[in-house]
Amino acid sequence: MSDPAFLDVRSAEKRFDAARVLNGVDLAVAQGELVSLLGPSGCGKTTLLRIIAGLTSADAGSVRLDGEDIGRKPPHRRDVGVVFQSYALFPHLTVAENLAFGLKAKGAPATEIAPIVSRFLELVHMAPFADRSVKGLSGGQQQRVAVARALAVKPKLLLLDEPFSALDRKLRETMQIELRRLLRELGTTAIFVTHDQDEALILSDRIAVMNAGRIEQLDRPETIYNRPATAFALEFVGLSTRIRGTVTSYGPEGAVSIDTRFGTLSARGRFEPGSAVIVAVRPERISIGGSSGENRIAPTITDIVFQGARAQIHFETTDGLPILVEMSGALPGGLEPGAAVPLSFATADTMVYPA
Amino acid sequence: MQQPQFRIWWLAVPALGYLLIAYAAPLVYLLMRSVIRPEGVSLQLFSAFLSDDYNLRVIGNTLRIALLVTLLCLAIGYPVALALARARGIAQVLLLTAIILPLSIGVVVKAFAWQIVLRRDGAIAKFLVATGIWDEPKRLLFTEPGLVIGAANVFLPFMILPIYSVVRQIDPRLSEAGATLGASPLHRFRKIILPLTMPGLITGIAFVFSMSLSMFVIPSLLMGDRFQTLATLTGRSFLLMRNEALGSATAVVLLVLAVSVVVGSTWVSRRLMRGG
Ligand SMILES: Nc1ncnc2c1ncn2[C@@H]1O[C@H](COP(=O)(O)OP(=O)(O)OP(=O)(O)O)[C@@H](O)[C@H]1O
Ligand SMILES: [Mg+2]
Repeated sequence: MSDPAFLDVRSAEKRFDAARVLNGVDLAVAQGELVSLLGPSGCGKTTLLRIIAGLTSADAGSVRLDGEDIGRKPPHRRDVGVVFQSYALFPHLTVAENLAFGLKAKGAPATEIAPIVSRFLELVHMAPFADRSVKGLSGGQQQRVAVARALAVKPKLLLLDEPFSALDRKLRETMQIELRRLLRELGTTAIFVTHDQDEALILSDRIAVMNAGRIEQLDRPETIYNRPATAFALEFVGLSTRIRGTVTSYGPEGAVSIDTRFGTLSARGRFEPGSAVIVAVRPERISIGGSSGENRIAPTITDIVFQGARAQIHFETTDGLPILVEMSGALPGGLEPGAAVPLSFATADTMVYPA
Repeated sequence: MQQPQFRIWWLAVPALGYLLIAYAAPLVYLLMRSVIRPEGVSLQLFSAFLSDDYNLRVIGNTLRIALLVTLLCLAIGYPVALALARARGIAQVLLLTAIILPLSIGVVVKAFAWQIVLRRDGAIAKFLVATGIWDEPKRLLFTEPGLVIGAANVFLPFMILPIYSVVRQIDPRLSEAGATLGASPLHRFRKIILPLTMPGLITGIAFVFSMSLSMFVIPSLLMGDRFQTLATLTGRSFLLMRNEALGSATAVVLLVLAVSVVVGSTWVSRRLMRGG
């Protein structure tokens, strides 16, 4: 990460009538970085992108790009490309004309435009379709044209709003890998919006987890997964078992004891005794057999789902709390629905959040 | 089972039948009357009509007025249609009402109203004097500019509505995409909005032009007898002069002009839709 603030959004706020859509968003992206904006529907992802692109004006806050305050510039002077969710290809133009549009608008001479257009058509494997109308293209082809069109003008920053949401699953996976390769190859700085956590994990250098008009955590995918900063980030990325409880004591080594329905559990964190908390643990951090961790529970197996190299084992406690365990490698004997099995997990792997 | 495409055609039968009886039959009758002369089938009527300077002037009047009315409607109507498509909520309802409601007032009533507005002491003259454009009040009634203004008012909705219906369907993201590609507002208008509204524009032009070609009441009331167009001349020859030969000739010339406008514009807009 060279310059951490190639794009620097500070305290961006936006309200539509009474609804506060952005509540002070800070977002810093380094040059060449690929950041995904992950969050549930309606949390303000599109609004944030539109503010960066200059298509919507923010009520407060600043947007700087490459050392320059672009907050008051009109969109056509910002050098920020956008790939819209609906692609927004120009229906009256051919594929090649769509790609040439931005170059022509910027007044590039025709002799320069042609080679750039054919290069980008090649890059997205759309060269055979150059003279086709965009109207007959399939979803995946339209998406490639939209990406190539935005990249052809070499924007300083590319914003992609759920670029894969209109594609079927299989095509989506291919396109994700292609897009990642393309953006890396061109060294493009990009932010892309998604509400699909797998997509965010596959595609990005860093993930910004967004909730209710705020960015709750901006970190590398493994950090987001292993150390979610908030209960929302924990819930939104990856699977986990969550247990409610109350802090009883705060120990010397940064560990807290939490009173739950399953007895006392210990976790790492700082909480006042008496605080209501949620204790959480990732499925692959729970071990079967019950000796390796400090925290112990003995629920009953309800279901075992094989997923090739891994297996998901669903447990349920006597009072109905579901617990999910994930194992790789061969399953130990005696695991079958109905069996009561002791589980354990370590204090270090136990996360705790305010309830 | 029959093909659904085939059966759906039956839905057009009532309209086709109605047009055939009420419109096509009298038209064919008129056409036949104009070419079947006592001496046999001939185009003599038309060659005589077209070799008369007065008649050529009438054709000129007709085309000139129709063209000016169309241009005025276009200049006023296009921006209004864009604004209408952008407007939201109550503003859009009010604007639409203001455009559609006048259609419910008869042309005769409107023409009489314009007689008042276009007088020497009418609203327009007063406005132009007050703003200093004119030194003294002048009469617009019975002048060509007066006719063009009055007719444009009557036909304006027929320019606005087809353009509006096309603009409304243009995805606003297209213009935004243009902006993020570096295109200025003017460039976006010329290369995105204008080409995409072209079909509506052509329909509007065809509507207004053909209606202005054949308008009868408005020129009669706003210009009087000294100024003739093909339509007023047709009316006069049938109603006043009882000259059916002249009436048929003017009617057919008018018909040919109107049909070529409609066919020509349809052809152009289909080409635009396909080609660009
Ligand atoms: N132009 C607007 N006028 C009024 N409300 C708006 C407008 N644009 C967005 N909103 C509201 O702002 C909130 C956030 O919208 P936004 O489109 O940014 O969400 P999002 O995170 O992109 O959601 P999704 O994943 O569904 O696309 C929503 O509640 C939406 O209804
Ligand atoms: Mg969105």
